[in-house]
Order: sequence, then C-alpha cells, then structure tokens
Amino acid sequence: MTNRLKNIKPIAQKVGDVKNSIFITVIALLGITLLLDIFVVEKIFNPLTYLYIVLGILFVRYGIPLLYTSRRLIQYYWQRASRNKLAVGGLAFILFLILLALIGPLFTADPTAVNFEEKNLPPPGFTLEESVYDLKTGQFITNRITGTTQHPLGTDDKGRDLLAMIISGARVSLQVGLFATGIAIALGTLIGVTAAYLGGKMDNVLMRFTDIMMTFPFFLLLVFIVFIFGPNLALIVIVIGLTGWTGTARLIRSETLSLRTREFIMASKALGASDGRIILSHLIPNVISLIIVIATLSIPGVILAEAALSFIGLGDPTVASWGMILKAGQQNLDTTWWVAVAPGIMLFLTVLAFNFLGDGLRDAFDPRSNV
Amino acid sequence: MKKTWLRDYIIKRLLLAIFIAWAVLTITFVLVRVGPTSPADKYLANLTARGQDAAQVVAAIEARYGVDIPIYEQYINYIVNLGRGDWGWSLSTSMPVMELIKTHWIYSFQLIFLSSILAALIGILIGIYSAVRQYSKTDYIATFFSFIGISIPNFWLGVMLILLFSVKLGLFKTYYDTGIPLFSLANLQQLILPVITLGTGMMAAYTRYTRSAMLDNLRKEFVRTARAKGLPERTVIGKHVFRNAILPLITIIMFDLGSIVFGGAYLTEIIFGIPGLGQISFNAIFADDYAVVVAVTVISAFLILMINLITDITYTYLDPRIRYD
Repeated sequence: MTNRLKNIKPIAQKVGDVKNSIFITVIALLGITLLLDIFVVEKIFNPLTYLYIVLGILFVRYGIPLLYTSRRLIQYYWQRASRNKLAVGGLAFILFLILLALIGPLFTADPTAVNFEEKNLPPPGFTLEESVYDLKTGQFITNRITGTTQHPLGTDDKGRDLLAMIISGARVSLQVGLFATGIAIALGTLIGVTAAYLGGKMDNVLMRFTDIMMTFPFFLLLVFIVFIFGPNLALIVIVIGLTGWTGTARLIRSETLSLRTREFIMASKALGASDGRIILSHLIPNVISLIIVIATLSIPGVILAEAALSFIGLGDPTVASWGMILKAGQQNLDTTWWVAVAPGIMLFLTVLAFNFLGDGLRDAFDPRSNV
Repeated sequence: MKKTWLRDYIIKRLLLAIFIAWAVLTITFVLVRVGPTSPADKYLANLTARGQDAAQVVAAIEARYGVDIPIYEQYINYIVNLGRGDWGWSLSTSMPVMELIKTHWIYSFQLIFLSSILAALIGILIGIYSAVRQYSKTDYIATFFSFIGISIPNFWLGVMLILLFSVKLGLFKTYYDTGIPLFSLANLQQLILPVITLGTGMMAAYTRYTRSAMLDNLRKEFVRTARAKGLPERTVIGKHVFRNAILPLITIIMFDLGSIVFGGAYLTEIIFGIPGLGQISFNAIFADDYAVVVAVTVISAFLILMINLITDITYTYLDPRIRYD
C-alpha cells in the first residue's frame, strides 16, 4: 500500500509539473507574441497603438503574474469547462481569429489598395450582372462579372480585396474588444472589491456612483461622447472601458462580500497587511475565475458596440473595421451583397464563440449562477 | 411596521432618483462644454460650408445658446430651461426641440412597444416549455436558437432581412413610409421587419432568463409538496413555479429595456429609416445640432431612471423579503 503511494506520488507530481510548464509556456508565448505584434505587425502608429503598448505592459506586469498565481484554479476550471464541446469550439475559433489577426496581415494584400479594374468582383462561384454603358456602341450592355480565386471573398466597389479587409477588421475588433474589456474589468474589479472590502460609507458612495453610471443608456452615451469629441478608435476604446465597468463592479462586489469575513482575510489583517495588499493579493486572486467569466461574456458586447458605431458612420474613419465594411455593403445591397454578408458573418461567429466559451466557463465556475 | 419601512424606502429611492437625474444633467452639460469645439463653431462651419453669411449666423447662434454669458449662468439656465420644458431650438430643423420630440416619439414608442411585448410573450412561453421539458429535443433546439439570437448583431440582422425580403424577394418596402397612418394594417406590415430586427435578441435573452428562472424554482421543495398533494401539473407549473420565477424576470426585462433596447432601437430606426428619436438624434449628429442630441440622450436617461424607479418600488412592494438597507 505504502509502496504504491510512493510510486504514484512522483507520477502525479510529474503530471503536475508538465501541466505547470505547459501553462508557463503558454503565458510566456502570449507575452512574446504580444510584444512582437506591437512592434512588428502594428504598422500605423495611431493613438490606439500607444494604448496597446500601455495596456500590453500593464498586462505583462500585473495580468500575467495574477494568472500565474491562480494557475491551479484556472486549470481546474478549464478541465471542467472543456467537457462542454461548444465552449471548446468557441475557444478554438477565438484562437484562430487571434492568429488571423496577428499574422494574417503579413500574408494578405493591402486592404486599402484601390483597384477600379477589379471592382465589384463577387466571391468565386457567384456572378454579378451589371448594366454598363458602352462607349463604342453608345448602348447599355449587360456585363457578367464572375469571381476569381484570387479574391476568395470578392472585392468591394473600389476594388479592395474583401478578405484582406476582413482580416484587418478582425484586428480592429479584437483590439477594441480586448482593450476596452481590459479597462472595464480592471476598473470594475477594483471598484467592486474596494466597495465590498471597505464597506460603510465608501461602499455607499461607490455603489451610488455605479447606479448613476448605469442610468445612462450605454450606446447613447457612447454616441453622445463620440459626437462631441470626434470619432477616434482610442477614444472609443477608452470610453467603452470607462463606462462599461458597472455590471462587473456589482457582481465582483457581491462575490467579495462573502470573502471579506473569511478567516484568511482576518489572518492577514492580524498579521498587519495593508488594505491595498489584502485587496491585491488576497481578494482579487480569489475572484479571478469570476473575472475571467465576466471578461469573456463582456467582450462580444464591446465588439458589437464598436461595430454598431462604425456601422452608423461614427467609427474611426482611418481604420477599416467590420462595422464600416458592413455600412459600405449596406449602401449597395442590390448589387454587391457579399460586402454586407461577409463582415456580418464574422461578427456573428465571433460573438457566438465568445458567448459559447463564456457560458461554458460560467457553468464550470458555478452552474447555478446567472452572471 | 411594514408600511413605515416601505414608505421610508420609497422616499429614499425617490431622493436617489432626483440626485441621479441631476447628475445626468450635469454630466451632459460638462461633456458638451469640455468638448474640443463649441456647438456654435461646429454649426458655423456646417452653415458657412453651405454658403451662409458667417457674422449673421454667429450672432444668431450666440443668442440662442447663450454662450456669451458666464458658464455658471449657462449651467443654471440649462437646468432651469429643461425643467420648464424649454429644451432649446433645433438649428437643423428650425423648430423647438420639444416640438420635434413630440412629433417623433410615437415612432420609437410603437417600435419598442411592439418588439418588447412580442419578445417577452414568445420568449417567456418558449422558456417555460424549455424548462418543463428540460433536456428534451425541443429544449436543445430552443437553447441553440436562443444562443444564436443573442449573438446575432441586430443591425446586421436588419440588413440581411432587407436583403432577403425586400431586395431579393420584394415582399416588403426597403424604407419606412411615414405617409401611412399609424393605426393601420399597412403600418403593422411595414413594422414586421423592424420588429423582428429589434425583437430577436430580446426574445432570445428572455427565453434564456425564463428557462433558468423556471429551473431554479422547479427544484424547490414547495414544488414537490404541490405535486405530492395531487395538484395537476398545469397548476403546479402555472401557479407555483411560474409565479415565483416571474418577479426576477420582470426586473431583468425592465433593466434590458433601458440598457439594451434603447441602443437597439436607435440602430433599427436608422436601418429602416423610421423617423423616431434615434433617427432624429442621428440626423442631428451629422448636422451638428447639439440641442437635439443632448435632448435625446437626456430623455433616454430619464426614461431609464423612471423605469428603474418604478421597477424597484414595485419589486419591494410585491416581495417584502427584499430590503435595501
């Protein structure tokens, strides 16, 4: 009996080590790709790039250590979540999309390259009948345009390759989704945990402030601010981040309330830990699974909000986002319908993937909760 | 005993609502003032681009907006005027903002009203059915479709509906016709696509909420008791389970109405050209007409505030177990 245990223990430890090193490798790869992506792929330097750099550094400094300390918790929950096939599928699609956004721009044509000789090309297999005025005969003739494999998704009315536009749009959508959610989740967590931990007046003030923020219709406030300050992707990200934390703050607060009176918090207080230390290294790591669930479930809303803004013409005119392609497609629905279909399908699949993953994670975390 | 704390609660809640209303007004005022260009500048650029005399326009705008007086007086004027029902002058449509809103709110209302009622009815029914037959084929199909429903971007759905039913099949008009009287079958017919566009997401969300709320209650002890004493299943589900599930549902529906539906309606109106509040705010944005944009934002915030207030008070009255201290 004891012999057997002795044999099992090292194996279990080895399995644990392997898992551990996989986790560390994944995190390290994440950090490296992030840095490479910021300094190699990101060509245009706009305010969003600076935001990207700042958030990237903050993530490497605070996010990765936090993920590292909670690795066992995360592994445990992922094991439970991975039983849900839809969640795994969602994660696979998200990883594919991230890869597409990271290295796709290196392989595709320039999404901004205008080529009027190849305009309105449908995807291969489809034909477009276009009535064209013929200069030689002075009559309208019907021109049949067939798609080529060179442009697998066709081209728009300026001859830009739709696939290249979709890939560059994926980059925009993911950047907006991840950055804005990052800001919102960080703010919401800090406010929620602080309110619950300090309690009393501070709790009251913070929660009333949350109530006020919640009263504003999110999308209308976004439209209002973009109207006043002008369309700029970095601004849109910051505004979504600064207004989208309310739900997170409430959920994190109620979760922390039950943690606050636990023995280990009392113990660290008795040992003389400061409030800041208790919040950062005891309370937040204990709500990390909830934070991950909320983050996964809030990303789609953010991506949709940016797409909607671009769709109504209030997006940043300097970047080709999915919403903007969709808007251009909507204006020529009767001819180049594929321009409206493709970005919408991508948007839909992305949102669906995040929802599947978030739902699976939530079930793994707490099957009875209704985040 | 109950009466006094309920009264205290209502007073407290009302005071909070008034405070929030004031905060909403102040935030909008501050945002407009700290903006990089003043309303007058933006509008001036817009008008002179169309070939109007600059000096005349400046004088007219300054008098309208009252930007030549100190900022605190502007602030007081702003609050007092809004309170008196004077919401300013819409420069792009040349009429008082109040007038503009009075003629257009009904279009938003009919869209939101029809969509929410239909979405709530259908969503709740599917949710109940889904919960009662948990893990059946119907349940899986309903769950799957509700997932699709909450994930589909509503503005894209609208565009696709137009593409399929209006452009390809020619069943509906691509644009909303204001010439048709509001209370007519033709109006209902042209609202079908917009209602589907706005309602699908809501319906899917309500299906999910109802299903989980019903399932929560189906597991409770009192349901077993009700079944054990021989009540017919219909009564158990309808009277015991559903009644307990409906309260949290109403709060969620009310909350959605504010946070999600208003944004959705804004987009739906723009896609289908319905001249509601979203559409006039959208037009005002591109005409740099500040008064209208501010008014629509403030009105929506106030509506949400009122909806939340009513929901909270009703909720506390109906379910005295909930106490907010």
